[in-house]
Amino acid sequence: MSYLPCGTYFESYGADHQWWRTSFIKGKMVLMLVVMAVFPYLVDPQWLSVAYTVNYYILAALGVQLLIGYCGQITLGHAAFVAVGAYCSAYMMLPQHFPWPQWIVDAGLAYPISMVCAGILAGLWSVLFGLPSARVKGFYLIMTTMAAQWITVPLVITQYVAQIGGRGQAFSLPEGTFRIGPVLIDSDTKIYYLSAILVCLCLLAMGNILRSRLGRAWIAIRDNDIAAETMGVNIVAYKLYAFFVSGFFAGIAGAFYISTLSFISPEHYEWFFSLLWVGIILIGGVGSIQGIVFGSVFVVMVFKLLEMGVMWSSGALMDSYPALGWITTKIIFFKEAAFGLAIIFFLTYEPNGISYRYWQLKNYFNLWPFSYTGK
Amino acid sequence: MAKKILLLGLVLGLLWTTAFAADEIKVGSINDLTGATSDVGKDAALGIRECVTYVNDSGGINGKKIKLLLYDYGYRVPEAMTIYKRFRDYDKIALLLQWGTGDTEALSPTVNKDKMVTISDSLSGHLCDPKKTPYNFVYSTDYSTNARAALTAWYEEVWKKSDKWKAARDAGKKPKLVCFYMFAAPYASAPIKAIKDQAQILGIEVGKDEDVSLTALDAKSQVLAAKGEEANIVWHGNTTMSVATAVKDAYALKLGADHIVNNWGFDKNLVRMTSQAGEGVIGAAACAFLGDKVPYMDKVLEYCKKVNPGVPIEKRDIRTVQAWLKVSMAVSGLQKADKKGKLDGPKIKAELETLKDWSPFDTPNALGRSGYTVTPEDHRPTPVSLLYTIKDGKIVPLTQINMKEKFPDKWQSWLGW
Repeated sequence: MSYLPCGTYFESYGADHQWWRTSFIKGKMVLMLVVMAVFPYLVDPQWLSVAYTVNYYILAALGVQLLIGYCGQITLGHAAFVAVGAYCSAYMMLPQHFPWPQWIVDAGLAYPISMVCAGILAGLWSVLFGLPSARVKGFYLIMTTMAAQWITVPLVITQYVAQIGGRGQAFSLPEGTFRIGPVLIDSDTKIYYLSAILVCLCLLAMGNILRSRLGRAWIAIRDNDIAAETMGVNIVAYKLYAFFVSGFFAGIAGAFYISTLSFISPEHYEWFFSLLWVGIILIGGVGSIQGIVFGSVFVVMVFKLLEMGVMWSSGALMDSYPALGWITTKIIFFKEAAFGLAIIFFLTYEPNGISYRYWQLKNYFNLWPFSYTGK
Repeated sequence: MAKKILLLGLVLGLLWTTAFAADEIKVGSINDLTGATSDVGKDAALGIRECVTYVNDSGGINGKKIKLLLYDYGYRVPEAMTIYKRFRDYDKIALLLQWGTGDTEALSPTVNKDKMVTISDSLSGHLCDPKKTPYNFVYSTDYSTNARAALTAWYEEVWKKSDKWKAARDAGKKPKLVCFYMFAAPYASAPIKAIKDQAQILGIEVGKDEDVSLTALDAKSQVLAAKGEEANIVWHGNTTMSVATAVKDAYALKLGADHIVNNWGFDKNLVRMTSQAGEGVIGAAACAFLGDKVPYMDKVLEYCKKVNPGVPIEKRDIRTVQAWLKVSMAVSGLQKADKKGKLDGPKIKAELETLKDWSPFDTPNALGRSGYTVTPEDHRPTPVSLLYTIKDGKIVPLTQINMKEKFPDKWQSWLGW
């Protein structure tokens, strides 16, 4: 929801729900795409890995936002679905496991196809753990989604899936594995572009789904499931759709992430990440697509800025007072504490998330100088 | 006027930094000070800083100081990746020191593509085959060799000789091994294939593996399962906190089996935490323990006090000595490459691959290690496994096994396990 500039009116439901409703919004979007396109040429190369880590978190947190923010189903096991996607894509790209016709490999289609399959498999796996949502909700649902984490990563993936082929649970993928059409994904710049394209496509898909019958049903379930059922919404089916779509996005995130390291390990999908992605939507704003982006940028950048601060202060201290080198190791501990404090302060002073602040700021400028909200 | 002075100060500062930077060699270090393995990671990080300070005080790398960039990644791989990219692209480091098996193996394809020499605290056997990981080096006996050696030592020194197992031996019973480790942790699972293979070689039965978290506070269900298997020997593949939990629970539940432990789970903290339950536990060590009477230990202790005066010596452990061993190997490669005029990855790698009968700081038995040989075909620095045991509340040497001499026909085939 946002206010429109004075003098702009829409007279139909369709017009009111357009993606780009005014030429100003269209301009902003085009500008954003241009900035994303030229980003690698504007920054030091080290920022590319930061950017695609942000994009990875956005892709992973999309499903969490869908479940918690739009459908009201709390999840704490999302890393499991990301892991399923990652392993599915990795195995599908190893020729000894998946005998692709040569023309598909030559055309560079193996990775994109594996990515879609990863999404579907992770979606189905997510549905499996979404089944209890038909009977339980709230804290009880948290427990069942946590079970997804414990069953999937340490047991199914580590003990069984990762043992296929006898190479062990953690393994690297050969060079040249990640190809999309003629483009070999072999540098940080290409990984960044891949992540940016995936983020745009997934955000667009999610935004569209939310404007559809499906999205409205999810929001109805979130707001009051009994009322939604009374109005004829099949809440079990729609909850399972939510788990599927959420798992699909997680699968895409997992399939993308293996391209950044050419390596896969169950350790990359620990429970911490399930918590982190919930933290991202809480910080960014629950029930907001923009909130996922803001939350991901916040989390990654806080760590990055703390890293820069600590490295700089350590370096300065070591250069000037080498005898006080021991303090540099102590400083590092402040990083974790500062991150925790940042979250506490944030949730205390802006519990609606960064997206709410953005909304206020945007409307201030939209309505300037004649704000009629009084805020 | 004030602005002009500020500007002048900034310019001078910049010039000074640039001038200073010309005489330094940057080394990046990714450590775990706050994550799942911080129980052993903190001591190691302190040791790295201390050893680099010592090297700089002693003339650095052919007169050039090492600038150490040490950072915590909290055992989170995405953070390790962004830190490494910063080290590579912004700081332009000459060499990377890494920590865990998870992040070292995860970054291995990247560092090998970037031709960045990496020396890790992970002694995973997977990192020792230059055909697969040409730029990864380890600084001590790899986990797989340690696991094989520990099992062999137990089999020969305890199972075959001790009164405890006499009845079982006389009854013709085969000993049974059960492995306790965190399945999802690459560090813990790295030597499992090797130890099971060694069990087969020695004629030891293998029971079902038990999943014990790196942060476990309770391992009773795993101990009861091992009891059900009638295990005689338990391999502990985790770090100290977790191993202590399992050893104490095994004692409380009267498991009756003996214990062998990987090097990251065996230190003075294990003795402190297990007390009576830890008696007789056998563990591998990467080098001498802190305070042992070996060359260079005096320097280690001196710099512990000098660089980190706030941390009492009693709280320091073997991880400090390991850090010195790791840095000394890095320094050796840097010094040789620098002498030849080029400090890039391929050159440092080539120099490290010429190490023959090497000892830390070129002093025989310094830090308890010597005789390292690294070749372009084999990055395992030594086949000698140092084994210790806990006796009367103290860690004492048990034996040293040269696995290459003991199993000459198999040694080469174990590369990369």
